[in-house]
Amino acid sequence: MNDKEIYQKLAELKDQGIAVCLATIVDTVGSTPREAGAKMIICADGTLYGSVGGGCGESEVRSSALRSILTTGKPELIEIKLTDDIGNREGDVCGGTMQIFVEPLIFHRFP
Amino acid sequence: MDIMARAADLMEKEIAFCLATVVVSALPEIQLGRKAIVLEDGSLEGSLGTESLDTKLSGLALKAFKNRKRQLVEIDDGVQAFFDILTSDARLVVCGAGHIAVPLVRFARSVGFRVIVLDDRADFANPLRFPDCEVIAEDFTLALREMDFGPSTYVVVITRGHVHDVDCLTEIMGKKMAYVGLIGSRRRVRIVLEILEKQGISRKHLKKVFTPIGLPIGAESPEEIALSIVSELVCVRRKGPAQAKTLRAAVGIDL
Repeated sequence: MNDKEIYQKLAELKDQGIAVCLATIVDTVGSTPREAGAKMIICADGTLYGSVGGGCGESEVRSSALRSILTTGKPELIEIKLTDDIGNREGDVCGGTMQIFVEPLIFHRFP
Repeated sequence: MDIMARAADLMEKEIAFCLATVVVSALPEIQLGRKAIVLEDGSLEGSLGTESLDTKLSGLALKAFKNRKRQLVEIDDGVQAFFDILTSDARLVVCGAGHIAVPLVRFARSVGFRVIVLDDRADFANPLRFPDCEVIAEDFTLALREMDFGPSTYVVVITRGHVHDVDCLTEIMGKKMAYVGLIGSRRRVRIVLEILEKQGISRKHLKKVFTPIGLPIGAESPEEIALSIVSELVCVRRKGPAQAKTLRAAVGIDL
């Protein structure tokens, strides 16, 4: 999804009154799967649009987003380290770190 | 209008802007997530919270515009914002709606190009063959004359015959664009380039045409050729024309 499609999707979700978080890579050091500016939308039901790097660190971004939507209502800046040891089968071994800003954008409209 | 709605609106209108979002703040009065928009002339919409921040923001955003770099910027002590530079989407004009155009357009759409398909044959330039695109069934020269070109316009010339290739290139060679590529055998493209040179288009200008088109991945089928062309478009969009030329030169395909 390119930026325009992300924004169109945000507008669409807003019309539907769906709670979402927008995660944006704001800084990277070393090798990371995507560059600054890459975006992903996380809906309260866990649906994802776009990508901030696929498997690498995605679960941390989801946890942060759900915490932000469901509990705190506040944005978070999280650091994802992709510096796992190569022997770690489930690890992220890209080698770099990325800062991801996770912000709640649309809240549920409770009746 | 809230800032996100305004951002969507600017993208729709294809106006470039910088969207600044506070992501680090040591100051209680400056909330995380606050956003402001800076346009390319430096004008500000919205506010990060204080006048002094806003003043600094405009200057810094203009610098970020110059190098088109999305980055984290320290605006003031303890306040950092992410500058997202949002420019209009790359737009691909496909001249010729034949058998290669179908997979080409599909691949280009999925990597984020907006696509316009042009052919003078209405049965080929048919919206049913090209979903999610603008499809124009009109004379090549006339349609291209009407079209806007700019630094994010990419043109692929894959018409059914060299006469049409010449028509397309004659019309667009003087215009500003990110990329122009021409399909054909070495013989066909040499004929096209010779005709253009005789018409007075300089050799230096013609050097800019990527021909034979596409990155050298050994493509044979229409789908493979489309993939090689779209690979070249991605390379030019992400890394610039010099890198695409280098890749071609590495296997000695440049004319």
